Amino acid sequence: MDISQIVDRISQKIESKGHAADKSKIEQKLRRLIEEFGVQPADAERTVLYDIARDYGIPLGGGAGPVDKKQINSVSPEEWVTIEGKVVALGHSPSPSIAYSGIIADASGAIRFVIWSKASVPEIRKDSWYRFESAVVDEFKGALSLKVHSGTTVKELEDDGVLIPVMMPIAELTAGVASVRAKMIQEWDVTHDRMLQSGLLGDETGTVKFVTWKEEGKERLTPGSVYNIYYALVDEFNGRYSLNMNTANIVAEEGDIAVSSGTAAFQGSLVHIAPGSGLIKRCTVEGCNRVLSRQNYCPVHEMQPKFNYDLRIKGWLDNGARTEEVLVQREVVESLTGMTLEESKELAENNPLGMDEVFLRMREKILGRYLKCEGREIDRRMIVNSCERIHFDPMLLAELLNRTGGEVS
Amino acid sequence: MSTPSAGGFPKRETMFEREPAKRVFAGELREIREQFRDGTDEKSPSYVLLPTGERCNRVFLVGSMTEKKRQGEQNMFYRARIVDPTGTFFVVAGSYQPEAMQQMARIEPPAFVAVVGKPTIYETPDGTVLVSVRAESITIVDREIRDCWVLDTAKATLDRLDNPTPGPDSAHAIEKYHIDPVAYRKMVYHALSQLKF
Repeated sequence: MDISQIVDRISQKIESKGHAADKSKIEQKLRRLIEEFGVQPADAERTVLYDIARDYGIPLGGGAGPVDKKQINSVSPEEWVTIEGKVVALGHSPSPSIAYSGIIADASGAIRFVIWSKASVPEIRKDSWYRFESAVVDEFKGALSLKVHSGTTVKELEDDGVLIPVMMPIAELTAGVASVRAKMIQEWDVTHDRMLQSGLLGDETGTVKFVTWKEEGKERLTPGSVYNIYYALVDEFNGRYSLNMNTANIVAEEGDIAVSSGTAAFQGSLVHIAPGSGLIKRCTVEGCNRVLSRQNYCPVHEMQPKFNYDLRIKGWLDNGARTEEVLVQREVVESLTGMTLEESKELAENNPLGMDEVFLRMREKILGRYLKCEGREIDRRMIVNSCERIHFDPMLLAELLNRTGGEVS
Repeated sequence: MSTPSAGGFPKRETMFEREPAKRVFAGELREIREQFRDGTDEKSPSYVLLPTGERCNRVFLVGSMTEKKRQGEQNMFYRARIVDPTGTFFVVAGSYQPEAMQQMARIEPPAFVAVVGKPTIYETPDGTVLVSVRAESITIVDREIRDCWVLDTAKATLDRLDNPTPGPDSAHAIEKYHIDPVAYRKMVYHALSQLKF
């Protein structure tokens, strides 16, 4: 491409805004980028134009060229886009350099946005429609967001009527913004002062953790109820997703969902039994049920002279290619080890090693054994609700003998 | 669930992944010569390269313990011979593996045992290579578990031979070991043929 053409295009744009354009300076900048730094001419054009525009304080609107209007679900990182949509959530600005942050949605989906204070925008109101022209798509931890900067033009639009959110099956959630129809199936302890509620939501396809932070107007969900949750933030941490409900519009609904039990099956050999397996003591404070230390100390309720005994096994099942952490509940431990809770208690009370004796005996009975476990997968750990030993399979022997090709392969 | 890759940045693997215990016959394990570390960190896992082309940090094995010896005075440890249909595993348990050491102390050969442990290669000053397994745990099991293990290990070995995982490990193994796949199939056949229907 001829550099002089680009120089002309840039200077025309600058002059059309009523500023003088220094062609030799423009050419020098372009040559430096294209020839010295190997920048593609189109990128160089944009860079130089923006440099100059910034120097003059020119709002450039359409950028170096017209930016296509896109559906929200089709934007990709680092792209310059124009979108039209409805602001469905507005958050508190976390910093003075940010004027607004929130979520904008169209019929195809929703995306987070940030409007820098430097950008000159009209007042942004929740539930109004806007056109963001030449915003930049950014990505952080897999979640896309739109950055509205000084080169973006924001226009309020006529109300475009009804917007039907795109509902997402829980199993298909990815980082960003999503709407789900789900049942609250578990309430967990809050782990932070600022946390209002946390727990587990489920639909027909799977389960996901949710968190609601304390904020005016935020309400707790009721376990067992079904909700339509519009525009929650989906965050990713260590490969797990969780829903941040604070941006969401939540509507309780009649009806029920047959939540996928998330049943997973895994078979392999039990290669490790972790400490804390066997006979354990649990805190008796209502709703606590935490495991007490040897000295009867509950991490929340301190010393607990009273406790309930329970059985469990924490271990690793290994199939040679992958290991799965398993947590086996009392009934299954009893049938697997042949040791009941009563027998285990008696054993612990009449033995110098106490609860360790139960651990050791259970270990002898199941460590290194081939097991097939079924249960629910939660936080990369399987909560086992049935487990059986795998027996020798002559069919497999025949199949493998054939596979070797016989004695003289 | 898949996360879109973050603009070309590799996703940070902060989650602890336990190393799986590979199923390897004694006949294959005794052939290992390559040992390497994944990364430069002191805590990076160490692997041996299996002749069938996979890295291995941990093994699960079941066999008959035929001999057990106590060795050392100050740093006492146990050394055991554990036999499978293809050869012998040398298994050690020292004071750094207290759980395995105490378990080993209570086992009297002969007995079927299941062992989880880490394979290591040791070269004596005169150049002899010794392959042993540092036990993490060792438990007495019965014959049926042993038979299940032979099936499991036969399958795993055939899988490694028939469907090698493409990648540097497989290429590295071809270069280092020049194995004869026919001989390995015979070893597997021989192991399976000792089982009864």
